[in-house]
Amino acid sequence: MSAIIENNGAADAVESRQSRWLTFDILRYDPADPGVAPHLRTYRIEEADSMTLFIALNEIREHQDPTLKFDFVCRAGICGSCAMLVNGRPKLACRTLTSSLPTENTLAPLPFFELIGDLSVNTGKWMRGMSERLQTWLHAWEDEVDLRKIEERMDPDLAEQIYELDRCIECGCCVAACGTARMREDFVGAVGFGKMARFRLDPRDARTDDDYYELIGDDTGVFGCMSLLACHDVCPKSLPLQTQIAFLRRRMAMTGTGL
Amino acid sequence: MKTIVTDVLVIGGGLAGLRMAIAAKRRGHDAIVLSLVPPKRSHSAAAQGGMQASLANVSKGAGDNEDVHFEDTVRGSDWGADQIVARMFVNTAPKAVRELAAWGTPWSRLRRGDHEVIINEQKVVLAERAEAHGLIAQRDFGGTKKWRTCYVSDGTGHAMLFTTSDQAIRHGVEVHERTEALALIHDGERCYGAVVRNLVSGELTAYLAKATAIATGGAGRLYRVTTNAVICEGMGHALALETGVAALGNMEAVQFHPTGIFPAGILVTEGCRGDGGLLRDVDGHRFMPDYEPEKKELASRDVVSRRMEEHIRSGKGVPTRFGPHLWLDITLLGRRHIEHNLREVKEICQYFLGVDPAQSWIPVRPAQHYTMGGVRTDHTGQSPHLKGLFAAGEAACWDLHGFNRLGGNSVAETVVAGMIVGEFIADFCDKPENSVPVPLALAREFVRREEEKLAAILDSSGHENPFQLCSEMQEIMTHYVGIFRQGDALLAGITHLQRLLERSREIGISGKSRAANPELVAAYRFRRMLKLALTIAYGAYRRTESRGAHFREDFPRRDDQEWLKRTLAFWSDEDVILPHLDYEPLDVMKMELPPGWRGYGAKNYIDHPDTPQRQQEVDAIRARMQDKDRHAIQHALMPYADELPPSLAGRNERLDEPLELAQ
Amino acid sequence: MHEIIAAQADLADRTIKNSWPAWLDILQSSTGLFLALFMWGHMAFVASILLGETAMWTVTKFFEGYFIFGKSHPGLVSCVVAFVALVFVAHALLAMRKFPANYRQCRAILCHAKAMRHEDSTLWIWQVCTGFLLFFFVSAHLYQMFVWPQNIGPYASSDRVWSDGLWPFYLTMLLAVELHGGIGLYRLALKWGWPNAPRGVLRTLKWGLTAFFLVLGLATLAAYMKIGFEHGGHYGERYMPDWAAAENTSQGDGQ
Repeated sequence: MSAIIENNGAADAVESRQSRWLTFDILRYDPADPGVAPHLRTYRIEEADSMTLFIALNEIREHQDPTLKFDFVCRAGICGSCAMLVNGRPKLACRTLTSSLPTENTLAPLPFFELIGDLSVNTGKWMRGMSERLQTWLHAWEDEVDLRKIEERMDPDLAEQIYELDRCIECGCCVAACGTARMREDFVGAVGFGKMARFRLDPRDARTDDDYYELIGDDTGVFGCMSLLACHDVCPKSLPLQTQIAFLRRRMAMTGTGL
Repeated sequence: MKTIVTDVLVIGGGLAGLRMAIAAKRRGHDAIVLSLVPPKRSHSAAAQGGMQASLANVSKGAGDNEDVHFEDTVRGSDWGADQIVARMFVNTAPKAVRELAAWGTPWSRLRRGDHEVIINEQKVVLAERAEAHGLIAQRDFGGTKKWRTCYVSDGTGHAMLFTTSDQAIRHGVEVHERTEALALIHDGERCYGAVVRNLVSGELTAYLAKATAIATGGAGRLYRVTTNAVICEGMGHALALETGVAALGNMEAVQFHPTGIFPAGILVTEGCRGDGGLLRDVDGHRFMPDYEPEKKELASRDVVSRRMEEHIRSGKGVPTRFGPHLWLDITLLGRRHIEHNLREVKEICQYFLGVDPAQSWIPVRPAQHYTMGGVRTDHTGQSPHLKGLFAAGEAACWDLHGFNRLGGNSVAETVVAGMIVGEFIADFCDKPENSVPVPLALAREFVRREEEKLAAILDSSGHENPFQLCSEMQEIMTHYVGIFRQGDALLAGITHLQRLLERSREIGISGKSRAANPELVAAYRFRRMLKLALTIAYGAYRRTESRGAHFREDFPRRDDQEWLKRTLAFWSDEDVILPHLDYEPLDVMKMELPPGWRGYGAKNYIDHPDTPQRQQEVDAIRARMQDKDRHAIQHALMPYADELPPSLAGRNERLDEPLELAQ
Repeated sequence: MHEIIAAQADLADRTIKNSWPAWLDILQSSTGLFLALFMWGHMAFVASILLGETAMWTVTKFFEGYFIFGKSHPGLVSCVVAFVALVFVAHALLAMRKFPANYRQCRAILCHAKAMRHEDSTLWIWQVCTGFLLFFFVSAHLYQMFVWPQNIGPYASSDRVWSDGLWPFYLTMLLAVELHGGIGLYRLALKWGWPNAPRGVLRTLKWGLTAFFLVLGLATLAAYMKIGFEHGGHYGERYMPDWAAAENTSQGDGQ
């Protein structure tokens, strides 16, 4: 019963609050229309209960500016489509409650990635390139398995640890927040390191540290990381990027030098 | 006109589409996947709770096998499913789980020894046998006799999609991201590919292929409150419907998930209830046992959703200014369990509600969740009406789910159908007679038609706003074609939708760009969505019975005598304002499991005239073969093994059913 | 390896594992670690002036081997300086690889830091700027110490700071070196995951140490300035404790 009272109390509090008017300065630019220089356009909307940026942006598009471009897919914080700079920081817009924002805000597309228009960027293209480069798939010991047979066993704790690293949604926040990547476009980025750590942990993957060294053992890889760790701080899935990258660095340093 | 020629054109980059493309690629055919978004962003990722496969590893899954899974699925479908397809499915599901395990999916694994779970509000200690340690674990889901749902914490779909997508990259499957098929290229008999719009540049390209496969997922966005992603607008359904040749099956069968977060409709997984979560009303009373004493919160989704709405109607909802809702209580599962096994749920509650589900109850109300209807296919996944057109997953009416899908069967269907249909597509491409000359003139004609349609929208001086019309349609669907349906209301809904269809001719848009242009996209999609909405509403109006998720208050009984049939909808041309409906009867005499009571929900139904006779036959066969093994009995009842692709045939090993014995 | 292959870096890397990147990374970190620790030790020795002229004189003489050989050998200091200079140059070379190399990179990182308002990212820019300053300041300082090692002592150093007007030089170098070293050590811990403490703890520790050494450094510098000011009239005179003066009247300090 205490839960009911608590929840009702919260609902009442929300309902009685005076709604705010929010200002969004949104970076507008359409690469297909290079004649119009990038500019900020200001939109004002009235805040509603449990309004997220997904709701706010759709309201702007439906009622104020139907040409505004942005990407949402799952609108539930699962798919990673809607990463953008909210007041300068990469965030998933769909799960950013406007109640957590000040009245004046700026929205901009994620830097680093190819701009499609306004808030929409082509993270998918970059991620596919990253996957191909780092071969982010399981390199099984045997190519064919007999699907009729009982599956290989795996320690339950290990499975959970692998899933912890497998939770990456490739939203691109970590790369957009990465000072190294911003300076050097061929940098693998935290998303790539996370995947390398994930496959390295997986006993079903036949690759050795020597193989991983081939992939990330240089300055575009783990030795290029300057440990600014904004990746860790902005990751919407709270992946343990700091410890994983440090771990990879130690492993790769030992593998490379033979120490 | 730009033309791209390939062997297999897959429309949709979710689990089903990717798996089909991998199958084709592995058989030596080229495959191109078209995807509105990067494939890893597909709605498959949103499947949280798990996938059903009768591995029988956990103690609560003891005795599970294909037969039990089959029965659960058919009962869940309210006998709407194609039982051959259901058999093919249940036999392949364990293989699909195991294939994914071999490809790297980090399935949650079983731990030997005692562990505590919550069943029916009670703490229960379950003992897991040592020999099962490290095998894939299963959890409980609604509408199932055994614990059968394999899972990866509560990010099952995500993990499966990433595994599959990475395998697609490994196999060099080309994915053309941010492209949208606008029309299928066909000559009324055979499908040759699609006219495709690049969503970034706006350019139209003709993609020509030996086989074209639709795997575009559901059409949840026809409703205002849905758990579906914003890209689930049924555009694959519309592609097939607009050919005028291919049929959509059972479009009136729309599933509502009991626990959409109120009011946003974001899904919280069935795993919450599977793991012991409860539904409570305004008084904090657990009401489900009052309605469903046996399965309680874990009856099938259609039943639970209806009971919830019924309870709200009786005044027991929690009133808010957005309307009433009920509570989902998972506090009793404890923080550790929530933070480990229901982590996405925790995040969703935290980010979208600002509550901690380990402490507070979650406001929920049923929300549109799944489109059972889809492109009608035969058991190979090919349209019986348009050669060379295939479909799989939610976009298809293969027909695994009939009128209600069980939780965990959809994400399973994506990969299972992907495997099976993928093999059949490869077979299709192997046949020399299917290597037809590239019909360039036909393609040019289709591209021209689509160009004209786009130009008409861009040049229109109309004043209707596509976003506005779309939300009106969603309101109509939610209001008139929702969980509870009624003849007059449906008729009113149809009238409203038809009026929208007229108004849609007056759509005008302010941004005139042919390149990335969200308004243009909304405009051309809207008319297609409206056709689907009308197909659903009209199908629901015509079906004067209640079956599975389709519930008619004026016809509350299931009527096998009149309605043991599949609805087929055709949209012949642009000028009509209603689809043409046809009905395809299901043959009771061939059913392994003749129609009966589902084991939950209402008990009253009208039998099909053949049912008693078939039931007798089935009983006789079972009695005669008492001493035979279950495979032999099954074969005697309804042989299906020859229908499976040879590479996927074969029995499934279990701890209690070693492969040698199973052979 | 055949030299034709060896001449094509990309292909050469495919034939054998290239261990250079790993070595370079380890060297960058280890030279940094050495320099930071050396710098702190150095700071402690220099700060001995706070305990009085005699204390500082004793430390100086210790490093000149006075207490071992009974005679000062400033050349020993030059040797240490030469070694540190070598490490310093190596570190500078290795670290320079990470510097923004052109306008585009420079602009990218500055815009990035400004928008992100992210402490660890901003700190890196400080590290680059201070590192850049240190190229010049440390080089000059090392050269001076290498060539004139005998000019280290309570009065000699104070005269340099005050009468030679080098205190702004030392003040700038002090600020730069403390910031650079502190941030550098903190970053090393994050880079290699040791000590594996939460970042908040490491950051507090880092700021604590930086503050401590800055205060120590400033106090030390002030002490030299004060002595230099007071000693201004006797510029060039060397310090000698009374007992040493009595023992060895013919020698000035550092001679």
